[in-house]
Amino acid sequence: MRDHAAKWPPAPDWSTAKLDRGSISVRTIEGLSQLLVSGDLDAWATASGTASASVAGAVIASGNKYSARIARDRVLAVSATPFALATGWHDAGFAISRIDAGMHVFQVEGPGLNELLARAMTQPLVSSGPSASLLFAGINVVLYHFTSMQSVRIHVDRALAPYLWEWLEQSV
Amino acid sequence: MQLFPCPFCGLREESEFHYGAEAGNVRPDAGFVSADQWSDYLHMRDNPKGATREIWVHLTCGEFFMMERDTVTHRVMGSTLLEDATHSA
Repeated sequence: MRDHAAKWPPAPDWSTAKLDRGSISVRTIEGLSQLLVSGDLDAWATASGTASASVAGAVIASGNKYSARIARDRVLAVSATPFALATGWHDAGFAISRIDAGMHVFQVEGPGLNELLARAMTQPLVSSGPSASLLFAGINVVLYHFTSMQSVRIHVDRALAPYLWEWLEQSV
Repeated sequence: MQLFPCPFCGLREESEFHYGAEAGNVRPDAGFVSADQWSDYLHMRDNPKGATREIWVHLTCGEFFMMERDTVTHRVMGSTLLEDATHSA
């Protein structure tokens, strides 16, 4: 039987994996609560207590709870602690799906961030409009500045996290 | 790399988009639809040289929209959210 395992490097231990190359560092953020919310986003902001302005492009995320805009009627809600609202349809006009296990989160920071973004994206992040959903290194991610212009968080489908890690290892 | 205008996101790289169909190819929905009408709907396309109107989707945000562009020069004249566009024209 062929051994295909040798063709790809094994996924790292995310709890300890870290890239630190001087001008930039990458690590995994574990334990975040992530929800996909669709529908009336103002009603969602009121019910959840998150800021009504969603983060994307030039808007910087901060704090323990915020919403990253994906589409006209959809956000990825992120919190360091679990949200109090139940999944499913809410009569206020929005639906919630839990996606904690579905998306891996990297935090990339350092003075070399803009150079890395330039390699991964066609346009500057600040010019990417009101949606944080975009192509990064050829795959679809949700990407936004976190706490400063020298730091971003990248939410990627968990199955693609090892690929993105390998890309970052070769590019950072 | 060409930039396409998503009605929601603004200008994004072309690889984030996917072609859908020619605009105006409306499904026959009368009581009786002849074989020729179905054949025309399913298989026959205008495929114009020059200005054209097409349905596209922006894959990253899921927005469907109508884009007017030129198939010869690749110039994009604009894009319109599908529910605001005159699809049947």
